[in-house]
Amino acid sequence: MNEKTSAIRTERRDVVVIGGGPAGLAAAIAAREAGCRDVLLIERDRLLGGILNQCIHDGFGLLTFKEALSGPEYASRFIARFDELGIEAKLGTIVLSLSSDRILEVSAMGGYERIEAKAVVLAMGCRERARGAISIPGDRPSGIITAGAAQNLMNLENIMVGKNIAILGSGDIGLIMARRMTLEGAHVQAVFEILPYSSGLPRNIQQCLNDYDIPLFLNTTVTEIRGAGRLEGVKVAQVGQDRSPIPETERYVPCDTLLLSVGLIPENELTREAGIVMDAVTSGARVDDAFMTSAPGIFACGNALHVHDLVDWVSVEAAEAGRRAALFAAGEKNESQRGIPVKPGEGVRYSLPQSVSGEEDFTLSLRVTAPWRNRAVVVRSGEKIVARKMARRLHPAEMMRIDVEKKNLVGCTSLGVTLE
Amino acid sequence: MSAKEFTCVVCPNGCSIVVDIDDDETPIVTGIQGNTCKRGAEWARQEVENPMRTIASSVSVRGGDFPLASVRTSRPIPLAKIRRVMEEIQKISVNAPVAIGDVVIARPAGCDTEIVVTRNVRSSS
Amino acid sequence: MEYNAYSQYVSPWKRWGDVPFHYDVLIIGGGVVGCAIARELSRFQVKTAVVEKELDVGFGTSCRNSGVLHAGFNYTPGTLRAYLCVKGNALMDELCRDLKVKIRRIGKLTVALDKDDEATLHRLKAQGDANGVPGLELIGGARMRTIQPGVEGALALYSPSSSILSPYALTIGLAENALDNGAHFHLGQEVVSIAQSAGSGWRVGTASGDSFTAEVIVNAAGLYAAEVCGMAGIMDYHIYPCRGEYYVLDKRLNGTLNALIYPAPKKNSPGLGIHLTPTVDGNILIGPSAQYLDDPADYGCSACVMEDLRREGQNLLPDIRVTDYIRSFSGNRAKRTPPSVGGNADFVIEDRRDKEGFINLLGIESPGLTSSPAIALMVREMVEKHVVLRPNPSFNPLRQGSALFFSELPSEEKADLIAKNPNYGEIVCRCEKITKQEILDAIHNPLGARTLASIKYRARASMGRCQGGFCIPRIARILRDEFGFRPEDFLKSGASSPLFVGNVRPAEAGAHR
Repeated sequence: MNEKTSAIRTERRDVVVIGGGPAGLAAAIAAREAGCRDVLLIERDRLLGGILNQCIHDGFGLLTFKEALSGPEYASRFIARFDELGIEAKLGTIVLSLSSDRILEVSAMGGYERIEAKAVVLAMGCRERARGAISIPGDRPSGIITAGAAQNLMNLENIMVGKNIAILGSGDIGLIMARRMTLEGAHVQAVFEILPYSSGLPRNIQQCLNDYDIPLFLNTTVTEIRGAGRLEGVKVAQVGQDRSPIPETERYVPCDTLLLSVGLIPENELTREAGIVMDAVTSGARVDDAFMTSAPGIFACGNALHVHDLVDWVSVEAAEAGRRAALFAAGEKNESQRGIPVKPGEGVRYSLPQSVSGEEDFTLSLRVTAPWRNRAVVVRSGEKIVARKMARRLHPAEMMRIDVEKKNLVGCTSLGVTLE
Repeated sequence: MSAKEFTCVVCPNGCSIVVDIDDDETPIVTGIQGNTCKRGAEWARQEVENPMRTIASSVSVRGGDFPLASVRTSRPIPLAKIRRVMEEIQKISVNAPVAIGDVVIARPAGCDTEIVVTRNVRSSS
Repeated sequence: MEYNAYSQYVSPWKRWGDVPFHYDVLIIGGGVVGCAIARELSRFQVKTAVVEKELDVGFGTSCRNSGVLHAGFNYTPGTLRAYLCVKGNALMDELCRDLKVKIRRIGKLTVALDKDDEATLHRLKAQGDANGVPGLELIGGARMRTIQPGVEGALALYSPSSSILSPYALTIGLAENALDNGAHFHLGQEVVSIAQSAGSGWRVGTASGDSFTAEVIVNAAGLYAAEVCGMAGIMDYHIYPCRGEYYVLDKRLNGTLNALIYPAPKKNSPGLGIHLTPTVDGNILIGPSAQYLDDPADYGCSACVMEDLRREGQNLLPDIRVTDYIRSFSGNRAKRTPPSVGGNADFVIEDRRDKEGFINLLGIESPGLTSSPAIALMVREMVEKHVVLRPNPSFNPLRQGSALFFSELPSEEKADLIAKNPNYGEIVCRCEKITKQEILDAIHNPLGARTLASIKYRARASMGRCQGGFCIPRIARILRDEFGFRPEDFLKSGASSPLFVGNVRPAEAGAHR
């Protein structure tokens, strides 16, 4: 005798944070500390911590805590504060839809609910690019897996994915896994990188590859996959200036596993569904210096906004987004997408926020297009220099930050960021 | 005699440091160039003569809500000792619950460090 | 390689050792045709079994195609392809309803791009009329653009009965309903020998050492049909595998195509040309290409073809972005025409006179999927000449079990389902929004197929943009908890495609971990 229930339980909340990784945790804590007493964090996994739970290597928190912690330890510091503040978290809960006027539909084992939020913080993190996205020709055997999925399997599920490993992509996650798998008895043949430079930190090149005599082949890519059931080997070749393979350089590398570390993409299905304006370069939302998106009251931070390399900056950025969300929920007037556009110029791949109010100090995050030495990042309003920062070493893999003071923004109508 | 180039990791400048090495049984540094500060020079010397590393791995957990607890070295160990330390880590197994900071191996392979738990694992019952 | 989880998958019949299994009808090949025949025969009290070399049904061509149901105007009147396609198409509404298979009658525009094409379209219209294709019309630009805004061209042949469905859902649905009604399925059994028994009937041996006997054999082995013929001493046939590669595009483009849009076919082309096909799940496929191969199991993808597909796709749909390509796959057509000839030959569906009780099907390429239920009826009539067919009073045409997709339900129904069963509240495949219960239903399928591909084809897990990056560790956990799977037991699809090599640390004895 089942009566069809057409009423879905609806709650009204002040600040809802989507995602319980480092960004979501910092945002929720900041919202609470800014005075919002009704903060809800929604996390799809059965525990808080997000991607940090599988990042067991150290190097997290050098700026925040002056210690070299592992991912789970860094997360636990924030989780402790989160619990201390008594903030509510719905675990094992996924947001299935988000509207531009901040109505969420969420699904959990405990039930399906609708939540109407005064402010939302998007902190969904990012996902990895897979083989299909980069179109590697050849057979379709088992043994091809993204580095992050392999890391999850290894560190959380106690599963070893292979014994004889080739890695495509020299980003940090590929390098970290090279070391991890070697320490657990696998043979890592080589890391292949299509660019002329590695996209990983020099520390990782030394401590994950050089320490273990794992060669790094730059300007090289995988051109074919071979294997009937399980992977048997890959063909690799050097690439020219246009990144096309040079056939005469092709050689065969026997292996049983190909780890792919070929790019991270911010997870923005909900963002797009809510009709929020996106930035084509970051694949995240366009935000202002309050981290608010084009939808009033919806804020974005962390890897969902743009892919970070240092978790400490994720925490700083997310804290600001959370604080602003709390202020918005409390009714503070907030012109959406404050008026002054900020455009990346020569040498700068992207800069964020994409617009500012001009009435507050702000910090610009940016990435350069190629590795450089001894260049300055310059923020200009027309011809006038508004901020300048010299750096001995600039690299696309290392996000840069430059502070801009509001006193230099008087009379500005637009800003440009360049490398000089 | 040989030369080795490093990208220094002590600060974000990432100076390119070249170290001249006397390749005897034990490598000895005979010259350092390219560093901007003293810390960089010290780091480069250490990298050649006695590189130190921290490592992270997992230990088996019995009766926990996770099959593994992540662990790491509390202080750096010599690069040359990594294999032996890993062997000790791979052998042991702990009982849930374990908490961040629990010491599971003291002085692994005789090194001046501990292997400490870095993830809380509760009992599964 | 020391991986071998094969033992997990061998059918439960294996425990009988090498006792021969006797059937009235033994169907070799568990593709859509073999399964349709099994289901048709399960309407009768006749002992039927399907012997399939892969670890699940449909792993050959049946799961690897555009999922298009053709109207029937492309085939010469009087051929089996023409007759069976039109008949099969007409049977699909009821069949898909009974088997809970998604089908969309979206119609097709075959577009003329030049004068030669226009003549072709007129010819096809006449041909379609002769074949009894319902609703065929030649329409002009204005009408074309009400059906598909922005489509180029001034003349098109509109066939409302052209449709799309899920080819793997159909194959699995047919198999599970046949199983439900008494047919047996022997998966992971490759036929290696066929001999006529003294007297009447056949003896069939498989690679694992099992043997089966049957009064009647139905050869529905698809890409291997000629090989199976050879085992029975029939040397008349040769199959030429012809590979079609595809790209799958992100669901972001869902809604771009309201109907199937094909260019007018060119003479002697071995395929129908590269086109865009929407799927019932909201993706768009680019393809298929056409390339003759030697190896029927070569499902690789080639760099130049992928480049062609991307270029063609971009031409047809300028809106496609680099991030929209989420996967490539390929399928092989079982062609009877060699590369020098090209084009298509008619189906071979024959009750061999020289070999009593050997019903032979060869060259069932397009429109094989569409024709499958009609082929089953035709084969049933042939079987009837050898075996008495008494109706099965407990035959139930309705497929049992759940075939729902949680993500497609309205919010109220979602809430209801979760309230009754919390496993609907946990999402395992994030990209496709597939719940734990759907994964459990897929894993507990009545055929006992437990490869990752089996779960994929039933629940759609890993078919989204992240291609399993999120769900595979979670599915691994479920398979370990539900079935005690060890890492070596996870197979991608074939017996030698293990996903993992072992544990990082020894798993706790006795525990699931």
